[in-house]
Amino acid sequence: MLTFWGSSTTQGFCDGLGRRDFIRLGALGTGLSLADLLRHQARAADIARANPTGKSRSGKARAAILVYLPGGPSHMDMYDLKPEAPVEYRGEFKPIATNVPGIQISEHFPLQAKMFDKLAVVRSLVAVDEHSDSQVMTGFSEQINRVQEHPSFGSVVSKLRAVQSGSSLAETVPSFVSLRGMSRGTEPGFLGVAHRPFTPNGPGLANLRPAQSNAGANLDARKNLLAGLDDLRRDIDASGTMAGLDTFTAKAFDMVTSGVARDALNLEKESRENRERYKGVESFLTARRLVEAGVNCVTLSIGGWDTHSNNFTTLKRQLPLVDRGIANLVNDLHDRGMADDVAVVMWGEFGRTPKVNGTAGRDHWSPVMSALVAGGGLRMGQAVGSSSSLGERPKDRPYRPSNLLATLYNAMGIDPAMTFANGSGRPVHLLEDRNLVTELS
Amino acid sequence: MTTPPARWVSTSLIPLLAVLAWGAAPGEPQGKLEVYPAQIRLAGRDASAQVLVTLVRPDGSREDLTHQARFVPDRAGLVSLRGEGRFFPAGDGAGSVRVEAGGLAASIPVQVVDGAKAAPVSFTHQVVPVLTRFGCNSGGCHGKQSGQNGFRLSLLGFDPELDYLTLVQEHRGRRVCVDAPEKSPLVLKATGLAAHGGGRKIEPGSDEHNLLLRWIAGGAKAPSATEASLTRLEVVPPGNTLGKDSRQQVVALAHYADGRVEDVTRMAQYESNDPNVAGVDAQGVVRPGGGTGEAAIMVRFSGRVEVFRARVPLGFKSGDSFVANTPIDRAVHSRWKELGVQPSPRASDEVFIRRLFLDLTGTLPTPDEVTSFAADKNPKKDERWADELLSRPEYAYYFAGKWADILRVKRGNQAERAFGTFAFHRWLFEAIRDDMPYDRMTREILLATGDEERSPATVWYKDLATPDLMVDNMAQVFMGTRMQCAQCHHHPYERWSQDDYWGLAAFFGRLGRKNVPAVTRSALQQNNNQRSFYYNRPTGTVLNKRDNKPIQPTPLDGKPLMPGAEEDPRVLLADWLVRANNPFFARAVANRYWAHFFDRGVVEPLDDMRVTNPPSNPALLDALASHVVQDGFSLRSLCRRIVTSAVYRLSSDPVEGNATDRQSFARYYPKRMNAEVLFDAVHQVVGSPASFAGLPADQFAPRRAIMLPDESFSSYFLDVFGRPQRLSPCECERVTEANLAQVLHLLNSEEVQTKIARAGARADLLAKDSRPDAEKVDELFLWAVGHKPADGKRKLALEHLSAAKTPRDKKQAWDNLVWALVNGQEFSWIR
Repeated sequence: MLTFWGSSTTQGFCDGLGRRDFIRLGALGTGLSLADLLRHQARAADIARANPTGKSRSGKARAAILVYLPGGPSHMDMYDLKPEAPVEYRGEFKPIATNVPGIQISEHFPLQAKMFDKLAVVRSLVAVDEHSDSQVMTGFSEQINRVQEHPSFGSVVSKLRAVQSGSSLAETVPSFVSLRGMSRGTEPGFLGVAHRPFTPNGPGLANLRPAQSNAGANLDARKNLLAGLDDLRRDIDASGTMAGLDTFTAKAFDMVTSGVARDALNLEKESRENRERYKGVESFLTARRLVEAGVNCVTLSIGGWDTHSNNFTTLKRQLPLVDRGIANLVNDLHDRGMADDVAVVMWGEFGRTPKVNGTAGRDHWSPVMSALVAGGGLRMGQAVGSSSSLGERPKDRPYRPSNLLATLYNAMGIDPAMTFANGSGRPVHLLEDRNLVTELS
Repeated sequence: MTTPPARWVSTSLIPLLAVLAWGAAPGEPQGKLEVYPAQIRLAGRDASAQVLVTLVRPDGSREDLTHQARFVPDRAGLVSLRGEGRFFPAGDGAGSVRVEAGGLAASIPVQVVDGAKAAPVSFTHQVVPVLTRFGCNSGGCHGKQSGQNGFRLSLLGFDPELDYLTLVQEHRGRRVCVDAPEKSPLVLKATGLAAHGGGRKIEPGSDEHNLLLRWIAGGAKAPSATEASLTRLEVVPPGNTLGKDSRQQVVALAHYADGRVEDVTRMAQYESNDPNVAGVDAQGVVRPGGGTGEAAIMVRFSGRVEVFRARVPLGFKSGDSFVANTPIDRAVHSRWKELGVQPSPRASDEVFIRRLFLDLTGTLPTPDEVTSFAADKNPKKDERWADELLSRPEYAYYFAGKWADILRVKRGNQAERAFGTFAFHRWLFEAIRDDMPYDRMTREILLATGDEERSPATVWYKDLATPDLMVDNMAQVFMGTRMQCAQCHHHPYERWSQDDYWGLAAFFGRLGRKNVPAVTRSALQQNNNQRSFYYNRPTGTVLNKRDNKPIQPTPLDGKPLMPGAEEDPRVLLADWLVRANNPFFARAVANRYWAHFFDRGVVEPLDDMRVTNPPSNPALLDALASHVVQDGFSLRSLCRRIVTSAVYRLSSDPVEGNATDRQSFARYYPKRMNAEVLFDAVHQVVGSPASFAGLPADQFAPRRAIMLPDESFSSYFLDVFGRPQRLSPCECERVTEANLAQVLHLLNSEEVQTKIARAGARADLLAKDSRPDAEKVDELFLWAVGHKPADGKRKLALEHLSAAKTPRDKKQAWDNLVWALVNGQEFSWIR
């Protein structure tokens, strides 16, 4: 629960942060040359040209919200129901129709059903059997990342978009925020510690407000003093940590003085009615406020999905929460005209066994899982791919999580084939398997 | 099919080199051309031979010219050449091949027998290597524990018999069709001719494709029990030095039990442990990657791994002024010469003493200590001060904490476990303080018996519920080896099998544990307050996970040991582990301690020693390990040896000749203070006391983070700066990387601000101090960064102070100065 410094509270929207303000293109990410940036734009233009229907608005998104459902959510009970399958497969839940003809989802998702034209589901993702967010956040399994240290999606976005020349606003909020702490999948890996997400909790959150006992200090004077006294040569550290610390120091001053990040995290700034809509799923609201304030990537999680037993009891409790969180978030983004600017994805590490086990549970099942996608200029109102009649494996259009990540990168105008030097200076592609989910982009 | 005399192949490889010609023309590079092997002998149609053409210069350096060489057979139709210097049989007979490269020429004899004859295909040594080379049985695909789409192979082909059953018998044998080999799903999918999630792995029409077809057509024969086993994999050459534009083809040779030696270069798999230094392609060609140092190129074939060591020098003339005093110095120095790396100059006294204090005691020196060290004229002052610091309690606390991290002295916020964690931490503190020999310390931990009161080291076993956890932790802490992979399958980068793993686990097979409820003040507490009592059971076994059968306790590379009736098998394990010639024990601790001081092990990661991750400087690791043994396993001596070496005395400032060096210790690699050290340093510099909840508030209570016995003292400061939760035996759990939250905490937290601004803190005392500001500024700098400020900085500080007019502003100005110093990078780095 995120509630904040007692001094509440102007209700209504924190205004003045129109979507057009919050990121201006033309910015250079750290370490990127102008040529690199132009190449990204050219690449995005190529994609637009190669797309004869002209419907795609992909490549212009400014932010992403990555909702992670830890434990492996059950595809068979959420977005890929099999009413024709035997009862030991189809389980207890019934499908309901959505406002998109031909697409059905779980009866516990009534809110999404009413707005499925604003959503899309991929039903044919092939995962790996690994309890880790590594694959859906970096495109590589944790096993690979223990050695190769591929960066989180958010860290890549941070690297490319953090320094927004000409926009002082962007410097006052972090580029990448994790509302679910740190994990393998939120690590920046070889991009370096400067691109770790900011995790607003506990004293870390309190530190965003000027310290009370610091009231007499003139922050500018301190800043000048620090700059004048701290002249240790930075090339003694080959790991990049010193450079990272300098970036953090600059950003920390801005965060403390501007208060933008603080306000974005302060849900008291929302109307009572809005807070009511997000009751129990506040992190979705926080995510929305953060992208409104200029954050480029937010990750959050909800629930526990490792339902080896009592799958249906657990889901009956969790699905309505997820439904409310995602439906309100996506509707809000549409209401604010931000739907194309913000790409949203919601998924876990794998699906669950199509056949219900002896304890009314479903076990790990990596051969197929589903993911929900919204906005980002991607094509909505569709179900991409399908699984076999018992929900066991992809029947057609098999994709991997890295294909969907490639699609999200692409939606943000980032070429998933671009490379960054790893810790030993070797150029490494953002993703190895980077074919797009063509139906979406 | 005829009876095969020698089943197939064999490039018989006479381990001699054909020395062929001398460069003669004036002005041309002097040297001779060597061709390997001395003779190409191809037997059977599956044989191939990779030829190496090497220019040997008069200075002994060797350059691989295989890729530039021209090969001219003396007659057509005997051999065919593919790729770079790779020969295949074309027709039977004898002849020769003329080799031309670098303006030199040579000739080697060639003999082909049975060049058209296809011998039966070996499943183990031909089919499985194909599946390995093309990644079919890799951990990302069918090799993972759960398989891929219902088809599972043993990881990297370590279990050919299981793979045979899977391929030929599982699913009613529908994966191979002996009557129509080309219709076998195995072949159709691998070649992408039928839908395959992994795509096309093997090119249709390739040798590998034909090999699979032939194996199936020949009846898909099972691995033969009489087939000679692979005894050794050899890589030729074992290593070389690569210039910036040079390259090296490697040759992989399989040695079989029947004496046969086979060229398997084209069937092996290659992988570099450091592509920044040198990378490798699928053909076994190694190329420099831009960095400097040494890379290990792993070559894998049929369950064996071996390495080629690629050295890529920087090419500077090195070390003129460096005086090597000790075996450590000499080992490092000769490495610099090999790599053409130049050392940085000696560090200044001020920089060195701060480094020495922080590395040995986790504590900043006082201004007095800094100035008296700098003023000390004794030529042996480094040694004298090292001895002094090694006798301080801070040394014992700091290193006890280091061991407590990896021995997992953790309470997990369960109050009732504090008795044990406090006792074990105290035990470690005393062991370090009294310099208990490390072999004895290890024995006492491994053999701990009883309860935590009488035998505090039993606390180590508390988190290790099962023998596999004991193996993982024991191996990583005391052997510097990560065995965990071998629990479920053959270790992919080592020679360890599941049998090796469970053989170690069996040493813990008789360890018994009883939980004894302790007497407590209230019945309510009683349920939780259980003490564990460890004892040796008269019998007890561990099941090998591979076959679910009991396994005898067996040390690595050793024979099974039979514990006597009622004997504790752990004693046998300890006897094997801590003896002087154990290949792991002394080296592991030597490497761990070296990494403590230099922020990088000779083997890196420091606890991942394996064949395919060799030391960056083997002589250095050997020198360190023999010190450990010679000094009777004294850890204090090990520290002393390291910190009094000339290498440790080097500056951390890079010079041109070592700017790209990351592994040869040509300078001191700086590091950030870890969480506890930084916490203590901040308190020392700002002049405010620290306290921890849950400890007695008397004068004896620990006031320093480095003294904390376990991890359960809540502190946002320590957590955000990366204090480990002691969940694993890996030092890597301690994160020393930076993040925004850390910076915010030092910059702007109530905790730090209050401590700076407190009445009676250093800033307050300095503001009230009547000495001249310049003197006080110098002292403050000595506290924070260990030296007096340069003139410009002193001026800046004095201007800031003199701008303040009222006493209140003065105090604020001192607050600001203290704040600026502890937020500067020079403060938080050990350099």
